[in-house]
Amino acid sequence: MIEQTGQTEWIEGKGILVWLAFFFIELGAGTFFISSLFENLPGMVSGWLICAVLGGGLHLLYLGHPLRSWRILVSSGWKTSWISRGLYFVGLFLVLGGIHLILTRWASLDFGLLIAADLFAFLTVMYGGLALSYVQGIPLWNCGLLPILFCVAGLWGGTGVTLLLILSIGGIAKSGVEEIAWIFLGSYILLVIIYLMAATYRGRAGKFSVREMVRGRWSSIFWLLTVGLGMVLPLGVSITSFTAGIVSVSPAFLSTIIIFELTGDLSLRYCILRSGLYNPLVSPRGLQ
Amino acid sequence: MRWGMVIDLAKCTGCYACVTACQQEHFIPAGIFWNRLMILETGVYPLLTRQVYPVLCNHCKETICVKVCPAGATQQREDGIVWIDQNKCVGCRYCIVACPYQARSYHPKEKEYLGINQGRTEFGRLGKELYDHQTGVAEKCNYCMERVDHGLVNGLKPGVDRHATPACVNTCPTSARHFGDLDDLHSEVSILIRKHSGAPFHPEFGTDPSTYYIRS
Repeated sequence: MIEQTGQTEWIEGKGILVWLAFFFIELGAGTFFISSLFENLPGMVSGWLICAVLGGGLHLLYLGHPLRSWRILVSSGWKTSWISRGLYFVGLFLVLGGIHLILTRWASLDFGLLIAADLFAFLTVMYGGLALSYVQGIPLWNCGLLPILFCVAGLWGGTGVTLLLILSIGGIAKSGVEEIAWIFLGSYILLVIIYLMAATYRGRAGKFSVREMVRGRWSSIFWLLTVGLGMVLPLGVSITSFTAGIVSVSPAFLSTIIIFELTGDLSLRYCILRSGLYNPLVSPRGLQ
Repeated sequence: MRWGMVIDLAKCTGCYACVTACQQEHFIPAGIFWNRLMILETGVYPLLTRQVYPVLCNHCKETICVKVCPAGATQQREDGIVWIDQNKCVGCRYCIVACPYQARSYHPKEKEYLGINQGRTEFGRLGKELYDHQTGVAEKCNYCMERVDHGLVNGLKPGVDRHATPACVNTCPTSARHFGDLDDLHSEVSILIRKHSGAPFHPEFGTDPSTYYIRS
């Protein structure tokens, strides 16, 4: 508290579940959203399941009193708390998305329901970033770019899962999804660079946080997994295939790249949670 | 009425009496501290300076913890005291992460003070009956609101009468801590803040803390 201290509640011990829960919630909602754009039913079902079972389950496991979680729904916390709003977003997405999936299976496509489900899926993708950006004491998180970065990462991950499903079980043509994936890749890389640059200007704690990530304890994870696997490899493949005039890369290779991409996204979230340092309460000069 | 505390950094000797009194008053479980001392050493040997900063919940007027609590467990009373209803807390720890003053703790499971399977001490057994600390919930200082409320009911004045004043204030051997009504311009705390240009930690966060620090 005199030096910059790292947050531990949402990453150490049982806190690891929060990291995984945010990832799976956003990945699931992103998969549902992207799959719905391409009318890919297996993708929508997978996204719904990833969000409900992995994301929701891990969130509940993390709580000190999971059986009290109903209190979140009956309290007025949604007015100010992003966790509360997140629960509503996830809940409404799962309910509307679930009804839509049932109707799609046994009756005609309900378009209005799908739009509503997509809206809440999109808000679900945003919510992790919004919950973190509300934390004033951690300059690395308290940044307007973070929700946008998490949103792009979630949608990009969703595009990746949709592509994986198309490659494994077939269905719609994958070229359209591939094009969207490349757009998200470019945006993601650009956002990570701008986000880290912006964070260095957010006081000493912000600068130290970025230093922790790129040169400190978490640098190996950041450079190897986030940058190497998650950015450089997919970017290299896309540039090579574009310049060589290859219309579409081989399915096995593309699947590997997508798994690398998801690993990169997961590791970036880990680095952001791990490197989140609090502003010290007092500076070496004394009371601030 | 808004209860607040003034801590005189020039008088604090870092004896930990406030920390101990707080633990004792609330039967706080092992490993959790509502009151803490931050010790800052500056300079190079032999010219060292040691500064002690007692820290506790600031009972902010613009509360971040109340806003982020999804279950309505963290609440603010009309007199400014921020407290946690442990029966409502779901244990999401958003309040712990969001508090810029890191004044909150999580109680994951019951620990032993000595860690040698000695079980609960007599004091611990008594505490379990009088002041049950649930596991899986957030914890923090409540300005000894039980003492304040009990004192007010009995016509006592918090900050003046010992039986209505927080334990850390009562126990401080150098009288470095003062408690009173910040809204009362004639209260001791208001006078001290004005006289010594008292300041809270990080006013730039806009939380308007009720714990002020002075150097008399």
